[in-house]
Amino acid sequence: MNGMIEGIFNRDNYEAAKVMLDASVLRHTAIASNIANVETPGYKRVDLDPKFESQLVRLMQSGSPQGLEGVQPSLIVDSKSPSVRPDGNNVKIDSEMLSMNRNAMEFEFLAQYMNRSFKRVKTAISGTVSST
Amino acid sequence: MDLLPGASFSADALHAEKLRMEVIAQNIANVQTTRTARGEPYRRQLVSFESHLDPKIAAANPGAQLAKSVRVDSITEDRSPFKSVFNPGHPHADASGMLKLPNVDLAMEMVDLISSSRSYEANLAVVKTSRQLARQALSINS
Repeated sequence: MNGMIEGIFNRDNYEAAKVMLDASVLRHTAIASNIANVETPGYKRVDLDPKFESQLVRLMQSGSPQGLEGVQPSLIVDSKSPSVRPDGNNVKIDSEMLSMNRNAMEFEFLAQYMNRSFKRVKTAISGTVSST
Repeated sequence: MDLLPGASFSADALHAEKLRMEVIAQNIANVQTTRTARGEPYRRQLVSFESHLDPKIAAANPGAQLAKSVRVDSITEDRSPFKSVFNPGHPHADASGMLKLPNVDLAMEMVDLISSSRSYEANLAVVKTSRQLARQALSINS
């Protein structure tokens, strides 16, 4: 019995959603930092390390995502994207707002996915579909 | 980990922008002040920002060390020269009838004010999104 519920919580998609939620929160922190520093001279924008996404994709494609715990999102300083301002700051407020909204949608999707996962377990336990 | 991700950065930014708006208001209020305590016309004040990271917040968020908050670095005086107009009737005019006016440019101050209030709005939007994320995280399994 115990093993069955554990089986649901150990599913690849569930595990991946967990890491992606963390990544989403971290990205929001980075965007908050960028928007807070939109007028700080010399500030360079920070972003989620693209290594995280590629690692996650490779792991999911391999079909046996055993090392998911090892994939941790992290931040990097994005000094490559060009600065159009004389003070060297490379934050573009409109693209930050856009990625903030996209990130919030992504978070909502993942949170709902989590919710549905729990609901499925509850349905299995009670044998009835809960009304809410 | 914070309950509201990134909200402390936004709060600091809101505070910094508010201070900048206060200084702009002071500049605009003193656009005609020809005498201050130092005996010269009012000098335009400039606010400069710097990014910084509170060690306490950094310790709470070890994964997000690169994300920085913002604070007012200093409020300095604009060293550009005063404007000078011929106004011999003015009590603060010098012997040759020239009156020195503050080095405040109203158009510049208005543009700064707009840019400051837009930044303020952007940070408020971030706070709103942070709250939305927190609420959704709390509603998992409810």
